[in-house]
Amino acid sequence: MEKLPLGLALDLRKVVPYKTGSWRTLMPVNIMQTPPCTHSCPSGNDIRGFLRVLAEKQDYEEAWHVLTRTNPLPATCGRVCPHPCEAGCNRRDFDTPLAINSTERAVGDYGLEHNLEHKKLISKRKEKVAVVGSGPAGLSCAFHLGKRGFQVKIFEANSEPGGWMRYGIPSYRLPNYILKQEIDKILELGIELECNVKVGVNIPMDQLTRDYNAVFLGLGAQTGTSIKIPGEDAQNVFTGVEFLKLINSGQVVEIGNDFVVIGGGNTAMDCARVAKRLGANVSVFYRRTRVEMPAITAEIDEAMEERIMFRYHTNPVKIITDENRVVGLLCGQMELKEPDASGRARPVPIEGSESVYPADTVIMATGQAVDYDGIEIQKRDDQWISTNEDLMTSMDGVFAGGDAVLGLETVTTAIGQGMRAASAIEDYIEGNVESRLAQPPVIYSKDLNTYYYTQEKRFSKEAISIHTRLKNFKEIYPPFDREDIIKEADRCFSCGLCYNCGNCYMYCPDNAVKISPSTGRYEFDLDFCKGCGLCAKECPCHFIQMTLEK
Amino acid sequence: MNEKAEELNRVEKKDLFASGHRACGGCGQALAARLVHDAAGENTIACVATGCLEVFSSPYPDPSWRIPFLHSLFENPSAVASGVEAAYKALKKGPVNIIAQAGDGSTADIGFQSISGMFERGHNVLYVCYDNEAYMNTGVQRSSFTPYGAWTSTTPMGNTTRKKNLPLIAADHGIPYVATATVDDFKDLQRKVKTALSIEGPKYIHILVPCPLGWGHPGDLTVKICRLAKDTGLFPIFEIIDGKVTNVRKIPVKVPVEEYLKPQGRFRHLFKKGVPTEEVAEIQKIANHNIERFNL
Repeated sequence: MEKLPLGLALDLRKVVPYKTGSWRTLMPVNIMQTPPCTHSCPSGNDIRGFLRVLAEKQDYEEAWHVLTRTNPLPATCGRVCPHPCEAGCNRRDFDTPLAINSTERAVGDYGLEHNLEHKKLISKRKEKVAVVGSGPAGLSCAFHLGKRGFQVKIFEANSEPGGWMRYGIPSYRLPNYILKQEIDKILELGIELECNVKVGVNIPMDQLTRDYNAVFLGLGAQTGTSIKIPGEDAQNVFTGVEFLKLINSGQVVEIGNDFVVIGGGNTAMDCARVAKRLGANVSVFYRRTRVEMPAITAEIDEAMEERIMFRYHTNPVKIITDENRVVGLLCGQMELKEPDASGRARPVPIEGSESVYPADTVIMATGQAVDYDGIEIQKRDDQWISTNEDLMTSMDGVFAGGDAVLGLETVTTAIGQGMRAASAIEDYIEGNVESRLAQPPVIYSKDLNTYYYTQEKRFSKEAISIHTRLKNFKEIYPPFDREDIIKEADRCFSCGLCYNCGNCYMYCPDNAVKISPSTGRYEFDLDFCKGCGLCAKECPCHFIQMTLEK
Repeated sequence: MNEKAEELNRVEKKDLFASGHRACGGCGQALAARLVHDAAGENTIACVATGCLEVFSSPYPDPSWRIPFLHSLFENPSAVASGVEAAYKALKKGPVNIIAQAGDGSTADIGFQSISGMFERGHNVLYVCYDNEAYMNTGVQRSSFTPYGAWTSTTPMGNTTRKKNLPLIAADHGIPYVATATVDDFKDLQRKVKTALSIEGPKYIHILVPCPLGWGHPGDLTVKICRLAKDTGLFPIFEIIDGKVTNVRKIPVKVPVEEYLKPQGRFRHLFKKGVPTEEVAEIQKIANHNIERFNL
């Protein structure tokens, strides 16, 4: 034994610590969970991921790459998505949800301004896939397949790509140049686009199934349906779809003074707000009340701000014409009775309540249908394409998604379906039968330790004044301040994923939380952890949880 | 000035009080000891009285101390620390941080005379009291820091006396720095240790350290219990610099004492089928008194 200096009992450099880890019955583990924002996002965007990148690194470029892993159209979605993610945000139980939609737009715009490029995952494969329709579903499917190296060709019936985003959504909500830039970026992955080709009319469906390994149908629902009332074939009676298509193709429509929109969906709101900008007196006629309107709430609010008249409980009975021109609308009043199959209150006419309203143009925004011209496919409810859970239709190797499958839904939902169809197509071509990894469990407010968060004001976007915005078709929300957006991103709780707060590291009475030399993240030293659970209790985002010792 | 403030507010982790000690899971004292010594740094001598801390941290041959450590008796950690300080002076060595430390039994009862002497003689020593409100090491016997109403093995019907207020007694010795802290706010605790060590003369820091075993709560609640002790007003957080009470921590949202008492087994007898007895009202009075006295 080595001799120590006088008075020293022990050479501290040679101490072998006693391994207290053997006392443990519970063990801390890091469990990454799905945050509610991602869970409620129809396209499954990694919202927590891009917000944390913004907050921690102030790096818009990386944030854009995180966001475009799932969603190729962030600048578009940042403008038009009704953001179910914000309704899911756990911060709603603490102060106010994050302004995720605004941050998404800021990140998307940054990507366009700095001309960032999508990264290809696999360089090239020989398999070919045809995508019919260049709306959000088609573009998303093409994007995800293109990234995985497939040779993709998109067929578009109109003269420009974008589908309903191009021809339906007016430019004060989504400027054309933004959409065009985002589509160009997708096409840069080596995706071919052929416009003015209508599959089923210019090209038979069999040719596609023969020439390509798989086909994706993103047909959309771009045929307006009207309610059958006398006078509907008069001049100046349009379906909502027809009207928006004319306007968004740059054509001039004589709309006169009194403009009446029938319906309460998004198309109705768009028609009304477009007409208001063209200088008409606009009123929206709806059979039920505001509560039952299917349109996005923000859209209704903005329409009301723009002084569009809403007439509820009003049902058109007859269009009054003079020499085949509309002059007025005969309407009856309705009362609401017990709910019907759609869950909304059922309107019943009140007898003898008819009155006449002046009208120069009538828009029937009362429903949309799929144009199946030349495509024979099995349908659900005689209206929408029916698919199995892998989004494959009744034809082998033909997949479908978007409005044509879902009924009328949002851009983001279509993007999500496009992405899922791309995975299904890849599995189909490669012959995979194994299911993909399941999503980790969702984390809710009750699991969080909110002591460590502070209440902060939510970012609010400022619209330009009503007076100015009604003069033209310019976007109503000017660009956001990038610093404000970073501050907003920093409000993110990072539910279910470590954000390096260091509580576990500082609170462990046994120093059993170390910083990993390789990753720089916190890790447990199970040689010494006694399993007291203090780290799990004080972890703000529930990333640390206690499990039974194996 | 800014640099100094930054230095004081920086959180330190050096593991000078290392893993491998035999404290119970979730021990507040082990946590406090690490936070204190990490803040003090390598140039420190620890003079520790008999008690939990000494027992669980210093068994031969694998102590947790990575700094010089002197074990003393219950009654004399301050006297030993005074001697160390005097020896350094005589040998013209130093400067060095000398931290005398003990639990509440040694501090408030057995070793009180030696603390008082050290304060009075004006040694340049920091005294840290780890207050877990009873003699935990020997089996939860009552000390003069045991709060009103608490069960201990020697007060099975609940303690009938009030807790001794040592921070104020220490301040009345005329020493330059006295502070109270808890383990939940490690930033505040480490700032106070660093501030104390930068001052010449005797200093006293009183740290509330929950004891999962003696208090009867799960180990994972250690931090939360501290927070409740502060937010109910039962453990006021303040500094006394040159006799003046300053930097009092204001309670953000006042919490009734039931919230603090309920999770702890030692107060279980104060609730008959969940209904608080009159002792709880008495404890609330103590909390209200603190709130008023320190303007929490």
